[in-house]
Amino acid sequence: MKDLEGWKKVLTDQDRAKKYREYITGWEKKIGSLLEWKLPEPGKYRDDGSPLSAVPFAVKDNIAVEGFKLTCGSKILEYVKAPYTATGVKNLQDSGAWVMGKTNLDEFGMGSSTDNSALQKTNNPYDTSRVAGGSSGGSAAAVAAGIVPFALGTDTGGSVRQPAGFCGIYGLKPTYGVVSRYGLTAYASSLEVCGVCARTVDTTRSVFHAMRGLDEMDQTTIDFETVSSGVKTVGVLKVEDGSLSAEVAASYETSIARLKKLGYEVREISIPAMDYVVPAYYTIATAEASANLARFNGMRYGLSPIFAESPEDLMRYSRNMGFGEEVKTRILLGTFVLRSGFQDQYYVRAQKIRTLIRQELDEIFAECDVIMLPLFPTAPFHHGQSELTSFQQKQADVYTCLANMTGSPGLAVPSSLEKGLPVGVQFMAPPCGEERLFSVAEELEKVFPAPRPAGYSEEWRS
Amino acid sequence: MKKEELLTTASLALLELEEGEVERLGEEVARMLDYFEMMTKLDVDGLEPTTHAFQKTNRLRADVLNNNNNNNNTNNSFNRPLIMENGNDVEDDFFVIPNVL
Repeated sequence: MKDLEGWKKVLTDQDRAKKYREYITGWEKKIGSLLEWKLPEPGKYRDDGSPLSAVPFAVKDNIAVEGFKLTCGSKILEYVKAPYTATGVKNLQDSGAWVMGKTNLDEFGMGSSTDNSALQKTNNPYDTSRVAGGSSGGSAAAVAAGIVPFALGTDTGGSVRQPAGFCGIYGLKPTYGVVSRYGLTAYASSLEVCGVCARTVDTTRSVFHAMRGLDEMDQTTIDFETVSSGVKTVGVLKVEDGSLSAEVAASYETSIARLKKLGYEVREISIPAMDYVVPAYYTIATAEASANLARFNGMRYGLSPIFAESPEDLMRYSRNMGFGEEVKTRILLGTFVLRSGFQDQYYVRAQKIRTLIRQELDEIFAECDVIMLPLFPTAPFHHGQSELTSFQQKQADVYTCLANMTGSPGLAVPSSLEKGLPVGVQFMAPPCGEERLFSVAEELEKVFPAPRPAGYSEEWRS
Repeated sequence: MKKEELLTTASLALLELEEGEVERLGEEVARMLDYFEMMTKLDVDGLEPTTHAFQKTNRLRADVLNNNNNNNNTNNSFNRPLIMENGNDVEDDFFVIPNVL
């Protein structure tokens, strides 16, 4: 709770609230992590003494919070206001935490850089010429800069963990179904979850505990069973030479050495079906996206033309004006793989591969308590596609989308700074094994806590 | 992927592609479909498709009308005035849509 304690007066104490506002404004000019933010009137907010009470946090702008817009980083929803609050957010509000703003994202969560946001550019707090990762880039950047102690994101193929790694913080993708998706604007319903970006393991755990639970508004929520939290054996994915950049490979070795030094039994593992995970993942994700995004047509709300020849034209114009190219590409792909005659070739085959991947991971988890694997093949890259094309960015989801395919929890953990840039590593546990992830991460945190970018300060809070 | 295939797919998805987009998006879609072809190398005989991570059964709620407007997650209704605020044009409880001939 130490990390959260320091935040408890920024909303309640008038002097500190003023400094908080200045701190946010200063950072936002550099990183653009927030699409919208507001602080409560001084004196209006009280701390009731519970751990999350009077603690500010930010929420990715594809998660509904009444009182804020719900843009999803898209032109088509740019002026849409959320008519209700997502269950995960509501649970945190009931614990006393306060939503201070909405964070930028790749349009509808589609991307690895936040460059696909149609509304704003978000920069990495460590180097503003580089991306903060994505799609929850705004949430990760805001936490890394010390604007909030934690922020919510969504993770469909790595969208919480990869930006957390790029920004040198912790990023949790919970077990599918443990945190309600009610209020999350659906992209790929069978893969995505609400997750947490935070500066410390302790905060990540507190937020996760406050958010989770069965929800009658999301029929896919499950009764979580606690899996024993003890960790002795760590399976470490053997990575082929050349598949990671030199910096990321060095950082990976650093984390392996740390695990050994901490006394864990480290076992090398391999996942034979790994080569097929990205094509299968994108087949499923785009298929589900094409169905989920069909609802945005400008008919009742959102961007629409003032005149059209027919209702169908109206929808076509709205979608054409409102969606960016990455979103259109994925809708096209998804529509194609679901077309009659192609379903068995793509969609059904991808779902069978999903079964195979689960079987392989089940075998590994029978031997290992958790597994460690890279997060992303490179350190934070520069804006634009000069270093990694859109296609290469998709291929790079290989390490993260595994957890979405199986429903397992995954946690991004800061590993090192390489040439001044954060590099993270990832841990995965069997379903409902979040406590195992926290346990390993906490040991590693004692050796290497989340780093701080230049300009990071806590002084204004104390 | 042939251009006609792309345009048919776009029309099914209610997307109208502009000239430049046909080229750019077409190329990206084709590249991904080539990549998806890799899946055919794997023998998937005997594997059941996984549609959802853990869901075993559907959970159903009672089929009752609930007109509570207090944005409470324990009921299934919404705050109608807030929803209507999002309409581009609204008359009473109706969305007015743009003029279509």
